[in-house]
Amino acid sequence: MSDSTAVKTVSKLGLDKANTQKWIFLFIAIVPPFGGYLLFTLFPNILSVYYAMLNWDGFTDAKFVGLSNFITAFQDKYVWRALTHNLIFMITVPFFVIIISLLLAYLITNKTYKENKFLKVLFFFPNVLSTVVVALLWAFIYDGSYGLLNGLLKFIGIDIGNFYWLGNESTALASIIPAWVWGGVGLYAIIFANAMLAIPKSLYEAAILEGAGHMTRLFKITMPLVTPIIRVSALFLVVGTMKGFEIILIMTNGGPFGSTDVIGLYMFNLAFGVEYRNYGYASAVGMILFVILVTAKLLIDKFVPNKGYEY
Amino acid sequence: MKEKRTLMDIVWRVVLYAWALTILFPLVWVIYESLKSNPEFFQDIWALPSEFRWQNYSKAWNQYGFGQSLLNTLYYVGGSLVLGLFFTTINAYALTRMTFKGRKLIWGLIMLSLFLPGINALVPQYVIMRELDLTNSLTGLILLSSLGESVFYLMLLGGFMSSLPVELEESATMDGATLFQKFWRVIVPLSTPGIVTVGVFKFLGFYNNFLAPFIYLSDPKKYPIAVQMYSANKQMEFTADWVTLFAGVTIAMVPSIIIYILFQRLLMEGATMGAVKG
Repeated sequence: MSDSTAVKTVSKLGLDKANTQKWIFLFIAIVPPFGGYLLFTLFPNILSVYYAMLNWDGFTDAKFVGLSNFITAFQDKYVWRALTHNLIFMITVPFFVIIISLLLAYLITNKTYKENKFLKVLFFFPNVLSTVVVALLWAFIYDGSYGLLNGLLKFIGIDIGNFYWLGNESTALASIIPAWVWGGVGLYAIIFANAMLAIPKSLYEAAILEGAGHMTRLFKITMPLVTPIIRVSALFLVVGTMKGFEIILIMTNGGPFGSTDVIGLYMFNLAFGVEYRNYGYASAVGMILFVILVTAKLLIDKFVPNKGYEY
Repeated sequence: MKEKRTLMDIVWRVVLYAWALTILFPLVWVIYESLKSNPEFFQDIWALPSEFRWQNYSKAWNQYGFGQSLLNTLYYVGGSLVLGLFFTTINAYALTRMTFKGRKLIWGLIMLSLFLPGINALVPQYVIMRELDLTNSLTGLILLSSLGESVFYLMLLGGFMSSLPVELEESATMDGATLFQKFWRVIVPLSTPGIVTVGVFKFLGFYNNFLAPFIYLSDPKKYPIAVQMYSANKQMEFTADWVTLFAGVTIAMVPSIIIYILFQRLLMEGATMGAVKG
């Protein structure tokens, strides 16, 4: 064997070894996580379209029914009721979260109160808690006989008797809103505060030199530069409120008499509830939610201005 | 320029304190109520406990099976954390610092998950888990939670890793390092801040996870703490044992509080990173 062939053989062996190593590494690095993704996320999403066209209780044989589940869903008054509730939450929760978070963020960043650092840490705390704890805390607040809210009202002289806020059809829905907002504000307050801090002080100083007051600085400098962040946050909040149902599940499970039911919860109970199980119909309802979410995202993209300002 | 303290400042401070109060008040209230006895509580919800009934806590511990659910939680959260963190890290490395055929396709498919709300997938996912015999099993939950792409964390770590200089691998190769060594001994130590951040977030996510364990676990003895508290609350509707429930809720909050105190800066920075990137 000549020298050059020997060198070629050795280096080819070296390359092969490196190549095999590479593929083994890639196998470990990609197959489990990506495989899990395909198996537990992507594939089920595709399957759900198929399921939506079945009549299936999960155990006996499935029956293909085409689009009749969708037709039923459109005529299902519970679906429309749930969607109405979704709409209410979708408008109120993001609105309040953003307003409160913006206010808090502005106060924390623009006022040099000594306690601001502590407040910042405190405000984020509810976001660290589990939804179960948040829901339970607020259930305690709203309790009829021993709740904090009624206690506070009694303190200032209003006696509502043992009014159970979560047990009354007219108040249950509205009662969930503060709980939801409470659990969401912290994160967005921090996000907005960081965004405001990222604005260079030089912009403000220049404005002050030109005689701009607080309000002018707020609306001409701070707000425009924070708007992109608000937009992204609004998107997250709206989508999250639309598909969220855990907090409602724990606080009222859709009651009383379905006055707090939302589409995600309705679907959940159709599939996993105690009574009659209908995987097919549940999937159809789930598909409706899917379509709504994608539409909502596109709408927000269109209507909320995406003017980023360069500085 | 010195800021003048104006009247408005009083207003602003009131606003800040009002919100702070909405956070502190319920928490403090639950904690001091948990130290009362039930009759005391029923009589006057405002009164401070006459004596500190720490026995409520041991009762809550036993009655709600905290010992068992703590073990369950440790197993589930710990297992998912270790597995999930390992796979997210090695996945991020492969996708950002290696080149291979199909990488773009895989990234594309992963990005697709941003458009999926996920709720409609719950039913088929359940069926698949059932076919694989992974239901009613904490191990099944670990597999479900740790295998799968979490786009947010991938992008976080990926961003981190791509900012490291390319020369790192080259010089390691010249030193005779194998691929795995390059990953484990060079990139991972340098990515530690990112890995720790992702780890803390994953921990909180798993600890607070309610829906998946609720769906998949039918045996109450397997409940992790989050689901345990839910069922404890349901129990309370029959027993009216409020103070014990309060004690239970307080116990359930302890790990969250500890993690928060230790990692709060990390959490606040990490939380904003993802959202700001948009």
